[in-house]
Amino acid sequence: MSRLRALFLLPAWAFTLLLFLGPLLIIVVYSLETKGVYGGVVPPWTLENYARLLDPLYGVILLRSFLMAAVSTLGCIVLAFPLAYYIARSGRRKTLLLNLVMLPFWTSFLVRTYAWMFLLRDTGLINSALLAAGLITEPLPLLYNDGAVIVGLIYGYLPFAVLPLYSNLERLDKSLLEAAADLGARPWQTLLHIVLPLTAPGLRAAGVLVFIPCLGAYLTPDLLGGGKSMMIGNLVQNQFTSARDWPFGSALSLALMAIVMLLLWALLRRDGGEML
Amino acid sequence: MGDLSLDAIYKDFPSHRVVDGISLTIPQGCFYSLLGPSGCGKTTTLRMIGGFDEPDRGTIQLGGRTLNGLRPYQRPVTTVFQNYALFPHLTAAENIAFGLERKRDPDAASKVKAALDLVQLTAKADRLPAQMSGGERQRTALARALVVEPELLLLDEPLSALDPKLRKQMRLELKELQARIGITFLFITHDQEEALSLSDQIAVMHKGRLEQIGTPQQIYLQPATRFVAGFLGPVNWVGDVGVRPEATRISREAPGPGARALEATVNSSIFLGDCLQVETRTPAGDHIIAQIAHGLGEFRRGDHVHVWWRTDDEMALPQ
Repeated sequence: MSRLRALFLLPAWAFTLLLFLGPLLIIVVYSLETKGVYGGVVPPWTLENYARLLDPLYGVILLRSFLMAAVSTLGCIVLAFPLAYYIARSGRRKTLLLNLVMLPFWTSFLVRTYAWMFLLRDTGLINSALLAAGLITEPLPLLYNDGAVIVGLIYGYLPFAVLPLYSNLERLDKSLLEAAADLGARPWQTLLHIVLPLTAPGLRAAGVLVFIPCLGAYLTPDLLGGGKSMMIGNLVQNQFTSARDWPFGSALSLALMAIVMLLLWALLRRDGGEML
Repeated sequence: MGDLSLDAIYKDFPSHRVVDGISLTIPQGCFYSLLGPSGCGKTTTLRMIGGFDEPDRGTIQLGGRTLNGLRPYQRPVTTVFQNYALFPHLTAAENIAFGLERKRDPDAASKVKAALDLVQLTAKADRLPAQMSGGERQRTALARALVVEPELLLLDEPLSALDPKLRKQMRLELKELQARIGITFLFITHDQEEALSLSDQIAVMHKGRLEQIGTPQQIYLQPATRFVAGFLGPVNWVGDVGVRPEATRISREAPGPGARALEATVNSSIFLGDCLQVETRTPAGDHIIAQIAHGLGEFRRGDHVHVWWRTDDEMALPQ
């Protein structure tokens, strides 16, 4: 029996070890070497890549990334909560509405981000419409700034917030809301004292599922921020492309990973491992 | 404070009419039961009084004040829900304090203490609902609804989730509690024994309509319809006349005058502990069941007997 189980688990283990731990190990090795002239890594071994992380310049970018990811996560949750609540309460149309939330996943993220560029640029749909309506005389600077990046991140990761919140709200016993109203709670008091505490696991899951990919995002800031709005993902990407500094890029991505894991660990410790 | 009155209440669901012209008055301080089978509209009636559903037509008044259109949190009415609906993230004491905190009651702490004491839960004040027994949950729900001092307490089959032994005990506690605090209780149940033993007044509902309103004695002994007679307990029907098995006698000799008697043959005789249940069949084909005390004779299958009852015990209810 246990031998059979081992046999069936073998592909998963092999996949994880080879394709997940393998690349990670390579990155660890890269981060400890010296950069080659045309990219790649060469000896000798060094810790200098890690020392460079302490440069305040990179600290600023890291802080910016945290801020952008935090604002986007907050935006996602604020938008997703009422949407998830509405879907959870809409009876037979639930499945249809959930599928609509998932619909964007049917096309590539890259294409969808380009679509946002067509919407936001100076000659884009929004500015053309506003100009044509005579509401503005000059195009609004909608693209290539932090705002555009945050809008793009919220758009991209909204479904990741909707789904865990939906599954939590769907299980919420409706009679609890009636009981709260019965005891004199106005709707906002019921939301504050009953609904939010009981959906805390969903809120945490949504927060983690949105925050982590937002923190490491590079496509959205690259396209919608136009290089002016650099996040840590772009910094890592630059090291592997234009800067040809693979060791430093590796050290950066490992540092990012360490920070995320530290955050998750702290969150899990506080909740007694309840979330996962 | 005052009487609750429903005047010609109607409520339609997409598929059918659930409440079909209910009018009744519940005197202040009364223990009043709405009794009926599931689907008779009693829960919908309760929900309309609580403010969770609105009637399509008709008015609901409490002490002369119209409740129609008021939200649940605006009504001086609270509910003990069928599943109790305790807030799972709050302790017994926090659940009980919930309503007082919404009203920013300055005496919340002492009122919660008194409420815990009233339902004998002081020792369990810091337990979460998941850590409580069924009876403790029921008492918490009761205390939570009573502590805000409603003018009317609605109870939606509050005993149905308890095991039978506990149910009988809680029934006594409930009756005693209502007598002590004196507020109006509107009790919803499908259990006729519960309704009979607890209520000052009973309204029997069937298919969205009221069949009869009366005291437990009136409802049981003088049912207004065949449905009421049958719902409150078994009935032997002979033509247009019904009689309860416990009012039916059985003997080998014909009874004296003043009784209605039929000849019959014994089908079976079952020992029920507190009585003997003898099932007989008349030549006309009517089944007559008699519940008699022990020691009134032994009856075996095939015995020829007389079944009889006092005409005072008859319920004349044409089909």
